[in-house]
Amino acid sequence: MHTGMKDYPSRSREIIRGDPGVREAVTGATIAFDRKRLQGYAEVDAEAWRRWAEGVKSHTLTHLDDYLAEAEARLEANGAEVHWAADAAEARRIVTGLADRYSVTSVVKGKSMVTEEIDLNPALEAEGIEVYETDLGEYILQLLEEPPSHILGPAIHKSLQQVQELFADRLGLEPDGDPDTLASAARQVLRDAFIRADMGITGGNFLVAETGTVALIENEGNIRLTTSLPRVHVAVVGIEKLIPRMTDLAGFLQLTARAATGQPIGCFVSLVQGPATHPDDDGPEAVHVVLVDNGRTDVLAHEHAWEALRCLRCGACLNACPVYRQTGGHAYGHVYSGPIGSVLDPGLVGLHEAMPLPFASSLCGACEDACPVRIPIPELLLEWRREAQEEGLTPWRERAALKGLAGVATRPGLYRVVGKIGSRLGGTGMARALPMLGEWAADRALPKPSRRTFRELWREGIE
Amino acid sequence: MARVVRATASRPRLPHPGALAAAASTDDAVDAFVKRFTSSGGEVATADSERPPDDWLTDFLRGLDPEVVGVAVGPDVPRELSPGLPEVAAAHAGAGISLAWAAVADTGSLVLPSTGTRAVQLLPPVHVVWVPSGQVFARLEDALRELEPELPATVGLHSGPSKSADIGRTVVTGVHGPGRCVAVLS
Ligand code: SF4
Repeated sequence: MHTGMKDYPSRSREIIRGDPGVREAVTGATIAFDRKRLQGYAEVDAEAWRRWAEGVKSHTLTHLDDYLAEAEARLEANGAEVHWAADAAEARRIVTGLADRYSVTSVVKGKSMVTEEIDLNPALEAEGIEVYETDLGEYILQLLEEPPSHILGPAIHKSLQQVQELFADRLGLEPDGDPDTLASAARQVLRDAFIRADMGITGGNFLVAETGTVALIENEGNIRLTTSLPRVHVAVVGIEKLIPRMTDLAGFLQLTARAATGQPIGCFVSLVQGPATHPDDDGPEAVHVVLVDNGRTDVLAHEHAWEALRCLRCGACLNACPVYRQTGGHAYGHVYSGPIGSVLDPGLVGLHEAMPLPFASSLCGACEDACPVRIPIPELLLEWRREAQEEGLTPWRERAALKGLAGVATRPGLYRVVGKIGSRLGGTGMARALPMLGEWAADRALPKPSRRTFRELWREGIE
Repeated sequence: MARVVRATASRPRLPHPGALAAAASTDDAVDAFVKRFTSSGGEVATADSERPPDDWLTDFLRGLDPEVVGVAVGPDVPRELSPGLPEVAAAHAGAGISLAWAAVADTGSLVLPSTGTRAVQLLPPVHVVWVPSGQVFARLEDALRELEPELPATVGLHSGPSKSADIGRTVVTGVHGPGRCVAVLS
């Protein structure tokens, strides 16, 4: 799902000026997540873990054909059915086709970015099927008809008061309920939905080739219920989610949780091999795995961008990013937002479509330092910028300004000073002080009235 | 698949880095499990070795607040580990009683095979899990390697109670899964 990439600058402005609560909520949440990640990394030899994870993922991606074949064979041996979707439309057709095959009228979903990417919910609803997002944050957004703004905390941009108002309006609660009361009201609605549902739809954090295991990480337990109670489970999984062995999975489950929230592991992990066959197992009678390409093979073939496919969708780069913290994910106009979105989206949907996302960064490098699979995000951003310039996708003023900025950015002292002047003066003042930045600075580098610079905010986050 | 083959064709194939070298823990695995599991909000109880385990469990459940009246018991839980309380459907039970395949120290996890009936593991507000003695692994990797030849349809790793911070960043427990998770060591 995307909503017009060209709008990044105006969208950011709108969010920052029109809804200042968003910046406050997103900044607070991401700084808290980021702090937890640092604690989580400090408890282990994070450098060694990250190098190892980078190695396993790069190995897998350069052997992806072999591992996909192995996973498919194993899943089929386990009694699951495997489907291949070249693009979003085909993925939607496969899932709606399965819903039809099993006469499904009600679906529960676990949080999944790939089903957002393929815009699955409207396709199911068009068939008259009721769809419940069951992650608490996703459920809130479904009631609001908004897309998620963060991989991990889809509703982090909402305040308690906004949720109170929403639940008062939609679930008839008193408008001053505490989070416990609100959560238990949602739990009741969703518990009924779980019991009623014929089909559970999830994504997949990992797919283990050796065993055909779809691994799912969460904290609420809604994914365990989604993969257990309905009679059919459909896992929609990007082809880059493969890892070779079960022993690799042990490391990735821990590293993903540490990068995302600092936890040693998610409260619940589901390891799904196939449909229930044992008489005491009350799980689904059918398990389907839909393997989605939707632009991923283009990224895989790209000389540089392929490294972005290592991404575990942990959200650590979003949390660390001073630019993301200003607006949350909605400004990016794509399912994948923040630093990883800015390098992945141009590969998935084409650079022209994704402009000007590769420019929505100050290249401070915080994302790369946070990333559990060491994706060189700043380098990839520069690569996309270079390609954009080659293809004439940027106006000349921008090109000149970027040259200037690159010079500044590589000299941290100067960069700090420039950033500070910019935030004192605001966009136009910045443009006057540094005329080469012009329009670009007004829209992107300084989308905030704050006196604190990105770097100051960033320091606050780590101290 | 043809597209994947094409996309990987021009790139050198990189080697697998081998096993993740984890620092050898000197802690006792059971102690390490207790520490991790409780720091994630899990609870640990130790059965009274002087008493029959079913009696001990019955009293334990009666002593909870709110007192557990009806229970749902996994089909693989032996009779001598089942409480003397009325059995009801998992959706209405005050507690679910399961038998773990193992516990894991480095992640503080209980390993629960789907053959233990998932409704028992997921629907009641309290989940009480027997951990077989001698089945506490130091590392998740060791547990998964050992489990691999006999993998059931699904395995759940439970490492504490159900949690969410989606509303106003306040942590609430028991959102969907059990709000209390008690590991019983014997
Ligand atoms: S790019 Fe790295 S840090 Fe960002 S979401 Fe992906 S794995 Fe996490």
